[in-house]
Amino acid sequence: MFDIIGKRFWFFLISGVIILIGIISLATVGLPRGIEFSSGSILTLSFEQPAEHDDFKQAISDLGYPDAIIQQIREGEFLIRTQELSDEEKTRIEDTLAGRFGQLSEAQFSSVSPMIASETTSDAIIAVIVSAIGILFYVTWAFRRMPKPLHYGTCAIVALVHDALIALGVFSILGAILGWEINLMFITGVLAVIGYSVNNTVVIFDRIRENLTRGIGASFEMVVNNSLVETLSRSVNTSLTTLVVVLALLLFVGASIQNFVVVLIIGIIAGTFSSICIAPSLLVVWDQGEWGRFIPQYKPFRAKD
Amino acid sequence: MTTKNAIALAVILIIFGLAAWIILPIDGERFGRQGMQLGLDLVGGVHLVYQADFPEDATPEEQRADMNRALLTIERRIDQYGVTEPIIQQVGSDRILVQLPGFTDIDAAKRLVEQTGFLEFREVELNANGEPVYLGGYLAESRNQFYNATEPEDRIFVDEDGIPIAFLVKTDDGIAFVDVEGNPVAQEKLQEYPMALSWIPARSDGGTHLTGEYLADSFPSLDQSGIAPKPVVSIQWSSEGGVYFDQIAKRLYNSGEYGTPQRALGIFVDSTLLSAPQILQPEYGGSGIIEGNFTREEAAELANMLKSGALPMPLKQPPLYQEKVSATLGADFIEMSVMAGIIGIVLVMLFMIAYYRLPGLLASLALIFYGVLVLAIFKLWPVTLSLAGLGGFILSIGMAVDANVLIFERMKEELRMGRTLGAAVEAGFNRAWSAIRDSNITTIIVCVILFWMGSVLVAGTPVKGFAWTLGIGVIISMFTAIVVTRTLLRLFIHGPLSRHTALFNIDRGKK
Repeated sequence: MFDIIGKRFWFFLISGVIILIGIISLATVGLPRGIEFSSGSILTLSFEQPAEHDDFKQAISDLGYPDAIIQQIREGEFLIRTQELSDEEKTRIEDTLAGRFGQLSEAQFSSVSPMIASETTSDAIIAVIVSAIGILFYVTWAFRRMPKPLHYGTCAIVALVHDALIALGVFSILGAILGWEINLMFITGVLAVIGYSVNNTVVIFDRIRENLTRGIGASFEMVVNNSLVETLSRSVNTSLTTLVVVLALLLFVGASIQNFVVVLIIGIIAGTFSSICIAPSLLVVWDQGEWGRFIPQYKPFRAKD
Repeated sequence: MTTKNAIALAVILIIFGLAAWIILPIDGERFGRQGMQLGLDLVGGVHLVYQADFPEDATPEEQRADMNRALLTIERRIDQYGVTEPIIQQVGSDRILVQLPGFTDIDAAKRLVEQTGFLEFREVELNANGEPVYLGGYLAESRNQFYNATEPEDRIFVDEDGIPIAFLVKTDDGIAFVDVEGNPVAQEKLQEYPMALSWIPARSDGGTHLTGEYLADSFPSLDQSGIAPKPVVSIQWSSEGGVYFDQIAKRLYNSGEYGTPQRALGIFVDSTLLSAPQILQPEYGGSGIIEGNFTREEAAELANMLKSGALPMPLKQPPLYQEKVSATLGADFIEMSVMAGIIGIVLVMLFMIAYYRLPGLLASLALIFYGVLVLAIFKLWPVTLSLAGLGGFILSIGMAVDANVLIFERMKEELRMGRTLGAAVEAGFNRAWSAIRDSNITTIIVCVILFWMGSVLVAGTPVKGFAWTLGIGVIISMFTAIVVTRTLLRLFIHGPLSRHTALFNIDRGKK
């Protein structure tokens, strides 16, 4: 029989370190925001004749956009990100580039005004907060017949905040290294991860609820551990099937919803870990009032009664 | 096989057959729905969101009425272009969202929506001696009064291309030159155009300003009178419009010689002078043409604009949000997501069969049922499938087997505790239910919030699509996992196959 709960402090340590790295990255690098949150325009142009990335960058700079971000999507296709462009400015860019690099076509164009960008930011934050509160209430309600139902709700929330923090931290690092930006699909991914993570946690809590009602197990810690072990293959199998389809999405649909898919992958892994290792461990720690004993000289703690 | 189970199986097969008939062929017509409704990012198209610019003194009721008229007007303009299933809707109290699937010319789309399309007729202001008034006249005398004091409305001065240079408006302390946005115009700019005519509203004998409101119809046509046929817009007046027009025509005809500004009728759309034809006869009898420097397409665009009427208020520039996706990009996405969906579903099935054997195979059948049923719902509802929506559907495939995994794991536990196969199947389904219900409700809560977020945000369409597909997926998956898999399993537990425990991957006694 696995002793998962017994290793709880190791789990806290691992999560703590990962989250700390993420927070350091968030504090220093921050999260690069896409135009949906920061406003601006993105123009994707396809050229019939391939152009060199450096030449292209120079051409955009010559047009008066030295700060523009240029990405080569594939041979002869470039993405240009600038501040919000007016119709005249866009026409001027396209005409000048067509003169310099030959025939072009506009594959994609999007433009977001500052007003919309700030609304999107605040609504996305509201959505994340409302989701967390909604879940807290629901989980507390679902476990209302248990002693201390709020413990279950709170631990589920801690687990999902854990997952969201890891996703944000990883994206901050990816942003620094690969220049990725967060967009609306990223927030959608974070919310989907929140739902997924709680889904897993609730399944485990459900088993704890059932085992506690049956009165099997010497102590709360034992009951939690047994419930975890009993649901372990389910937790792993469900995560695997979900990961498989998400990987298929990443491989085939790739770049266009990359943010969304990658945040799902991170979230599924973090969510599986947090629902197996973090949320039930927290329940035990809280139940046994161990808050003070976190760090050194931890001796495997065995329940007495 | 019990009778009850046989009925359940029959119902499942009927639903499956119906759902398969609905989705196949994928672009076929069923119950009035032709093919899947695909989002802009998949078929290409234009997505625009505008902020209405109401006059400052408009009451909320007037704003509401203006908004409704604006939506109708834009709808009429777009209808002429044969865009399939365009979306024109109000967002909040003062925003207009326009989505044109398959229409990828963003500049044409913007012209179509943005132009106020306010058609009005103007004549040249005359001074006390019946002579035409020029911009230079107002400047030279530094006048503080209009020449024609009976006409209180704005004067428009235009350059040689018909573009407005300035508007002369009445202010509290006299008159002032302003631009389109109401800001003062520099004297230097005005002095460049001393010969710009002062255009005032053309009014009927009763004082009615002749505008596009009095048009009954307008259509593009060709003026054959010149050497080369010239695109023009033919107009048909309403009955009162015809009377008003003839009153104006008669007055202008009598006020000057042929070729003088006094006899010109200025045709303005959105304060831009299109043409200023001479009045050739005192009566026109209800119809006329608008000349201008048009191409055929421009003439067609203008005719459409005039017919659909003017926007009750201008829209602020630039649009709050604009997005354009080319159709080729969209076609690639469809192909790729179909591949991802197929690969995903096959891998999940392989995993389930390898791990759970016979129950896994049955769950795989349930998964196929799930996929077909969900697609049928998407088609009939219809749910607009965007890339994110397809992502949500594919993700829900992975999650759909979750309920089955929960049940099968439970079954295995019950078998280990020594129950018979039949009892274990029933117990597995019954005991797993609370976990399935509670865990799926949390996902549904998130879907509801995502749906809200997708609805309030102007760029939120993909989020809404994702919330729909994931939400529908979760609900249907509870049904398929519980009803379909259970019915299929019951078929087997009473049959000869049930003795082959290896098919159920039971490690009886081993714990």
